[in-house]
Amino acid sequence: MDVTGPALRGTAARPRVLLATLPRGTAVRLAAERLLRLRDWPQVSTPAQADLLLVAGPHCVSLQAALDRLWQDLPAPRARVHARSADEVEDALEAGRARLRSPTVQHEQAAPEEGEQQDGEQRTQEHQEGDQDAPGHAQRDHHGRDRASGRRTADDQADDAHGGHSGGRDQHDAGHRPEAEQGARGDAHDGQEADGHRDDEGHGSNGGHGGGEMEMPAGLPMAEQGEDRDGLTLDQLHVPLGALLTDWPTGLTIRLVLQGDVVQHATLEEPATPVADAAAEPFWVRPWLRAAAGDPVPVGEAVRRRMAAHMDSLGRLLAVAGWPSEVLSARRLRDDLLSGAPRAAVAPRLERFTRRVGFSRTLAWLTRGIGVVTAQDAGEAGVSGPAARAGGDVTDRYRQWLTDIGHDLRRLEESSPLEVAVEESPRGHWSAEHPPSSALIGLLPRLLEGAELAAARLIVASLDPDPDELAARTLEVTHG
Amino acid sequence: MVEAGAWWTLLAAPGLLLGFAVLAVAGDAVLDARSAGRPVSLATAVRPFLGVPRALVAQPRRMPAPDRLLWRTGVITVPVAAVLSTLVIPFGNHAVADLSVGVVWFNAMEVLTWAGLWLAGWGPNAAFSLIGGYRFLAQGLAYELPLMFALISTATGAESLRVGDIAAAQHGLWYAVWMPVAFAAYLAGVLAFSFLGPFAYPVGRDLAGGVLGETSGVDRLLLQAGRWLWLASGSAMAVPLFLGGGAGPGLPASVWSLVKTLLVLGLLVWVLRRLPMIRADRYVEFAWVVLIPLTIVQVLVPAVVNLNR
Amino acid sequence: MGTTNTVLLVVLGVLALVFGVLVFTLNSMARVTFSLLAALVCVGGVTTVLGLPYLGVVIVLMMVMEMVVMAVFMIAYMMNPAGLMPMSMLHNKRGALVISGVVFAALVAGIFLVPWRDSAALQPRDTTFQVGRALMAEQMLTMVTLGFVLLATMVAATVLATHRGRYDRFGDDLDQRPAKDPAGGGVGR
Repeated sequence: MDVTGPALRGTAARPRVLLATLPRGTAVRLAAERLLRLRDWPQVSTPAQADLLLVAGPHCVSLQAALDRLWQDLPAPRARVHARSADEVEDALEAGRARLRSPTVQHEQAAPEEGEQQDGEQRTQEHQEGDQDAPGHAQRDHHGRDRASGRRTADDQADDAHGGHSGGRDQHDAGHRPEAEQGARGDAHDGQEADGHRDDEGHGSNGGHGGGEMEMPAGLPMAEQGEDRDGLTLDQLHVPLGALLTDWPTGLTIRLVLQGDVVQHATLEEPATPVADAAAEPFWVRPWLRAAAGDPVPVGEAVRRRMAAHMDSLGRLLAVAGWPSEVLSARRLRDDLLSGAPRAAVAPRLERFTRRVGFSRTLAWLTRGIGVVTAQDAGEAGVSGPAARAGGDVTDRYRQWLTDIGHDLRRLEESSPLEVAVEESPRGHWSAEHPPSSALIGLLPRLLEGAELAAARLIVASLDPDPDELAARTLEVTHG
Repeated sequence: MVEAGAWWTLLAAPGLLLGFAVLAVAGDAVLDARSAGRPVSLATAVRPFLGVPRALVAQPRRMPAPDRLLWRTGVITVPVAAVLSTLVIPFGNHAVADLSVGVVWFNAMEVLTWAGLWLAGWGPNAAFSLIGGYRFLAQGLAYELPLMFALISTATGAESLRVGDIAAAQHGLWYAVWMPVAFAAYLAGVLAFSFLGPFAYPVGRDLAGGVLGETSGVDRLLLQAGRWLWLASGSAMAVPLFLGGGAGPGLPASVWSLVKTLLVLGLLVWVLRRLPMIRADRYVEFAWVVLIPLTIVQVLVPAVVNLNR
Repeated sequence: MGTTNTVLLVVLGVLALVFGVLVFTLNSMARVTFSLLAALVCVGGVTTVLGLPYLGVVIVLMMVMEMVVMAVFMIAYMMNPAGLMPMSMLHNKRGALVISGVVFAALVAGIFLVPWRDSAALQPRDTTFQVGRALMAEQMLTMVTLGFVLLATMVAATVLATHRGRYDRFGDDLDQRPAKDPAGGGVGR
């Protein structure tokens, strides 16, 4: 492999970063996004596009396997760094850049091109590790077995935490799969044709959907079929969304059954939780947690946090809606709010942002009628906060965020103490037993079914639940 | 009149096209830096190109059971079609080949990106990438007919399919002025076949990059280059079709072509930041119910004018 | 016809044949579709070299769109990305062989039976104009009829294929607005 000096220097000057946020990693993510924006290091959304894998947040065992897989899929030259807290981000980025620049490191790290043996071993270890440590993993295997008769994605993508990218590792799996799984897949063959060579003779007149006896290309099982919403019988594709997907609630995993790009069925998975001793509180509700614990917190601080949270959600929604230039504005405003910028400094830019995004007829036209949650639905599901007050579709919800931000702007300097019962947390009335995000997550499966994939992403982004809040609940339950 | 076939045009046309594409990328980077709150300097404009040497040496992507042949074919088709489309675009008084069916040639090359992008989405054997490929077809079904009618309007106005004739037939009154609907539909079409900005649906962030999501190294460079080359090519074609070609007072024709192309390119780079990504499920109905009837009426205008001449 | 054109004609003709054969020997639907497309693009090239540039380029344009849409329809029912099951594209072999043999013989007979004019002397300056004239003047009625028949066929096929009718969309009294659709369109009907 010929990795030349200029190429490495060019890469190190502007690495493209895949930011993988772990549960409780919000503060680290925010610090990282701010630095990446200021340094002009582009954020990408798949390993194929990335030079640098930046893992943000406290160690999380259940996502370790998924992280390793992301890393395996990064093409060389590449580097992987981990920032456990917000202070470590700057150093981590520098370390990553140094590693990208160094030809010796790159030479060692180049992923082996045909190194099936090595990858295979790695994969086996990773799998065992996962089985022992992660409660979620058993369930994944269960899913895999259920669908083993089904299709290539059933098993391989089932534990592929990164959603749509279906992983370079699968090609090795076909050859080095643990016995149990081999059996579960039934007709998976030995993977000798993993290079996509599909020209073998003799499959001819079976006409495609034969089934059992045939050898499948690269050991991938066939698709099962099902009725789609237009009455056609189409192949089903099992695609998990989450947990490390970019512009997605951290740690949340939703398993989709797709036909074409229409969601036929959506199942929630228990959000990944960090190790129990990671005492970091969920970032967005920290003022409320402190106030609940008896600390005097000025209302201004809580309001600032709430505005920043809405700005963060808006940034995510706009990213999913495909408006990168306004994502930049939203994130810049969010970062300024969090760094304590005075009202006068953000007000003009906030007003321009509200005008461009809130009053955008195009954006409203694109999001109208998607993911309707009436005020009544919201009440029944226990949703409070902006989603309940908006009582409508995606458009209503992002406009509600902007309205709330407008109201909050006037209260940035208030210093009266925060009362948890009066002041709403970013996603609704705060209660440790029933965090507002759990109600929002509960809404998702019903809303997603029948939606197109793009609409499904918009729906999730417009509710933007924060799974960290749920982890706070489990912690309190176990400790209390 | 347009002269065609000089040997140096074979080198000059791709070179110019690349130059325009580079300028567009640099301009976009500058606008990006401004909205991100970074200082803007000359270095800002060249930063996007730092990744080019890296792309040339990057490790190829390994996927389970890809269709490498079709994947590679698709990836190469997009930029190659963009370059081929410039054969018929006169710049000043020169064109590589002023074909008698130039407008149709341009259209055919543009349609090749349909096949190219679909293949590029199909090849890597990944769900999101495949959906990205399908998305371009859905988008294509929406933008293609209005774009065709826009092209037909100009050809009807000039009573010729030769691009040089169309530029010459405008006699100072640009088609952009009296065929504004066609001009707007054409510009929307340019953004759509470059799958940039509001028409970045096949490579949407919600699909983790869609067609681009699984590409790395040279493949990715070629697809990205294809997008900006198409934007440049579309802008250059707008000049002879709608803005009177190289005609203009005082300056040589090639300077006028340059100025007009840069203006169109600048406008498109600005516009692509001002709109969110338009999903095909919304755009298709709008295109068929609103844009196609409008552009058909637009074709009627030059037809009636020519009949009464 | 100059040497360049003759060489082009031979090369394109052979390529078209090779891609045509591949259509029947490859066993991936995507590859079959695109080798058929490649064959048709070569045919477009042949037509252009024969002095009908408009028809040649239009063949390329239309066939790319058509083949890509066809690929979508064929593969829509089997969404496995590239790892598609290998499958044969041959059906009804004997019947197909007979039909194609007869058609081939008829076309070859046509070559010898049609009284070709001396092309060099009578080649029109602009064949595009001739084609347009033939279609839109002498054959105007044919084209108009054909156009309406095609359109009616497409609309009828779509209507027959969808199981949802207007009563599903607009309610029993056809007064429900907006229509009840699984996904909203862009015009808000």
